[in-house]
Amino acid sequence: MEIRDRLNGHEPSDYRQKVKFVVVAVMVCLSVLIFRMFYLQIMRGDELKQKSENNSIRFHKIVPPRGLILDRNGVVLVDNQPSFNIVYIPNRSKDIKDTLRKIEKIYTENSMTFSFDSLLNKKVRPFVPVKLEKNVTWAKLAVVETNSLDLPGVNVEVLPIRKYNSGKMLSQIVGYIGEISPKELNRDESGHYSAGDLIGKRGIEKYLDQYLRGKCGAEQVEVNALGKTIKTLGTIDPIPGDNVFLTIDYFLQKVAWEAIDGKAGTVIVMDPRDGSVLAMASSPSFDPGLFFGGITVDEWEELSNDPLYPMENRAIAGQYPPGSTYKTIVAAAALEEGIITPDTTFFCDGTFALGNRTFRCWQEDGHGKVNLHRAIVESCDVYFYQVGKLLGVDKLHDYAVKFGFGKPTGFDLPGEKCGLIPSKQWKLNRFKEKWHQGETISVAIGQGYNLVTPLQLLNAYCALANGGTLYHPRIIDRIETPGGKPYRIFEPEEGGTIPVSKKNIKILNHALWGAVNERRGTGYILKRAKEDVCGKTGTSQVVRLPSDEKARRLKQMELRYKDHALFVCFAPYKNPEIAIAVVMENAGSGGTAATPIARKIIDAHFHRNPIIEKQPVIAKETRRKGHG
Amino acid sequence: MIVIVLVVIGILNIFSADFSMNDLKLNPYYIKQIRWAFVGLLAMIVAFSIDYRFIVRHAYVIYGISLLLLILVFLYGTTTHGSQRWMTLWDFSFQPSELMKLSVILVLAKYFNDHKTVRGYELKDLWMPSFLILLPFLLILNQPDLGTALILVILFFSMVLFVGIRLRSFIIACTMGIVMTPVGWFCLKSYQKERILTLFSPEKDPLGTGYHIIQSMIAVGSGGLFGKGFLKGTQTQLQFLPEQHTDFVFSVFAEEWGFVGGLILVFIFFMLILWGLRIALHSRDLLGTLIAFGITSLIFWKVFINIGMVLGILPVVGIPLPFLSYGGSAIVILMMSIGLLLNISMRHFILKP
Repeated sequence: MEIRDRLNGHEPSDYRQKVKFVVVAVMVCLSVLIFRMFYLQIMRGDELKQKSENNSIRFHKIVPPRGLILDRNGVVLVDNQPSFNIVYIPNRSKDIKDTLRKIEKIYTENSMTFSFDSLLNKKVRPFVPVKLEKNVTWAKLAVVETNSLDLPGVNVEVLPIRKYNSGKMLSQIVGYIGEISPKELNRDESGHYSAGDLIGKRGIEKYLDQYLRGKCGAEQVEVNALGKTIKTLGTIDPIPGDNVFLTIDYFLQKVAWEAIDGKAGTVIVMDPRDGSVLAMASSPSFDPGLFFGGITVDEWEELSNDPLYPMENRAIAGQYPPGSTYKTIVAAAALEEGIITPDTTFFCDGTFALGNRTFRCWQEDGHGKVNLHRAIVESCDVYFYQVGKLLGVDKLHDYAVKFGFGKPTGFDLPGEKCGLIPSKQWKLNRFKEKWHQGETISVAIGQGYNLVTPLQLLNAYCALANGGTLYHPRIIDRIETPGGKPYRIFEPEEGGTIPVSKKNIKILNHALWGAVNERRGTGYILKRAKEDVCGKTGTSQVVRLPSDEKARRLKQMELRYKDHALFVCFAPYKNPEIAIAVVMENAGSGGTAATPIARKIIDAHFHRNPIIEKQPVIAKETRRKGHG
Repeated sequence: MIVIVLVVIGILNIFSADFSMNDLKLNPYYIKQIRWAFVGLLAMIVAFSIDYRFIVRHAYVIYGISLLLLILVFLYGTTTHGSQRWMTLWDFSFQPSELMKLSVILVLAKYFNDHKTVRGYELKDLWMPSFLILLPFLLILNQPDLGTALILVILFFSMVLFVGIRLRSFIIACTMGIVMTPVGWFCLKSYQKERILTLFSPEKDPLGTGYHIIQSMIAVGSGGLFGKGFLKGTQTQLQFLPEQHTDFVFSVFAEEWGFVGGLILVFIFFMLILWGLRIALHSRDLLGTLIAFGITSLIFWKVFINIGMVLGILPVVGIPLPFLSYGGSAIVILMMSIGLLLNISMRHFILKP
């Protein structure tokens, strides 16, 4: 061989070395490949196998219909309805702009508008759906569907949204839902929630979210790389949310809301026999439907910066001086302590002097000689100045607390305020100052530091109405499964008894009856032929400065310094079945501004239109149909 | 023999890669590939029958034709996937860059055979061959086809190193290369840059540039020891793998046949390379040695870069796997190269006339 090579001038020995080297190099390179293969297939094989399965098998979440919120009779307050979003699922390499222009063209042909400027610069990732338009109308939907062949990648997404039949009238109570925020997602430890979920943000929607939301189902599908479903492997049906029945009576709620709509204030209607809230309206209010699909910044600003706080439920979070409505409590304490008897009289000449200060009665000319009954009926301030002076602030405080003031009533919904019942110790802690007797005088007529929530006030009166039992006011009646089986029933809960004897309750109730039914009573306009109403008016002064006294009388003040009008009542006198508290902000005196509102509700309650009575039955049937 | 085995494996594999899409295509790839393989067989026989020295005598002509075709492609070629690589004549598309690889081997072999040195080449001797490479390199890079262009350069260096280069010249060349790297980086298309960058962190953009690598690694890895079985690769059958019948054909194979299959395939390639090197070593003359070495190193580099890219250790540059990837021109040229190898092998005992 070597001879032959020489003949040709070829030198293989030189190349032999090189070829050997090349072979080694090739072996090294190929070994690297084999090691890498070993690493991927053997060492990471299981992990990557799992990944390959994840890759081709996907889970689609199936969102269940959210539970409904109904009133005590089955009237649907909050319902579900489908909403349609137009989404675009980008293909690889496809450009969103073309599609947007096409949609715009089709819309213009059908004389519709489409704003997509915000979408133009959006970074589009393959297979990640982009929401083009939210909550489109039927007309648009039809246009998109008919042109779907020209719009590859454009899909219609159907989402159930909330329909708030009760509109603004119950917003603060039912609340609203919205997309879960990153913060809420972080807080969630149960693992039930995932990004993009709609959850209750306020009110019943939030508080009972765990019942209303139901359980998501899932669909396991095999997809190809384009995300197209090849076949469905299995489906777990979603479990619809449970339905929540409130103690609210839609009929009364409507009357209550309409009575205060456009004003600032709150109305609560309660059944004194078990503490069920029949109506609870707070005005101004907001449209809970604004929140689905995201509220605009402007709308949110407007809502949250409104000086009248439309988001606040005044019934439980509004704190007002109780004014004269507090006198009943003062009277109860004085009777129980034996400081007065029903026959104790004081003389009212319109003024009351303590030290070098003079306190006035609202009746400038005075009431003359008054006993307890007349003092309550005519709401004589001087009588209660006297009683308050004898009773002392601490005694008054103790009784007030036992009536449920100064602490939450135990209402079903969170957000309750405590109010404030002053005592000597409280002032020392709060202001590092001693209590002045003059302050007791103010407190005795429900002014001064006193603050109560409308619900506390009503609850205390309910206790008088039902003979002494203090209930935890309830608004959630029961939770039912979608099939209509009771799931959880919320029984009325007693929260104690007021420390007043039956005899004294009777005396007080009679006085409250007088306040409405006697000619000189402050709530006389509520006097009715058939059912006797017992009630107490109240006017709580917003401005306490004596210099404003005159201005107040002349009603020449700015609206925000005007008095709050209060009225609490229950009816009928014997065996009361309905109790109402009305607080109207800056509306003037209780007798003129609050009692007419209570009257509307009382009228409605005792003259129920039989046609409306039938309505719940119809609603119940449609609801069943809705669930199939 | 080895080649026939490889071609059969290749066709079966393309059939599998095709299987998932055959409802979409009337003319599936594997049928085309079979047709091309027969054309390749013909080309092999032709390349085998004509004395390689006769062929090499016309090396410059072949090179010239290839270059002309490349220029024609540059002017009139058809565009697929954003690059202009194909020439379409009637129903028949052809990739001149494939032919160019073989032409370059022949031309270089001829050049080094005509300018023999004993003590290794100096830089000044390499101007001419460099120029021969540079022209097609620029044309192919412009298509753009980074993979093939790179292969040409690697081929050139392999051959130069093989024929021998002076140490000093080598060092100078290396330094120049290093200096040129940033300039080269500057010339790369942004998608090519991204591909190289994602190699280092494929997870950064799993649906974008890293998609190929991740999907490919998942496919290979999920094959495990014995694979999922023929036609059973879920990644493949569900089309998660892009370009599964061309550049990423190996991941189809590895997913369905597992580590064992991959090992066997790599071993078959190793045998092929050894065979080629043996031919180079036992060739009668330097010309044969150079051609055989060139062809062998071409096959080796393609195998190494392709599998390396599929396994995620080399950037995705778009180099097909010899005999397995779908591609008409590629298989015809490869079979032709094998024919040349056989040619050299067969004629090593014939004395010079």
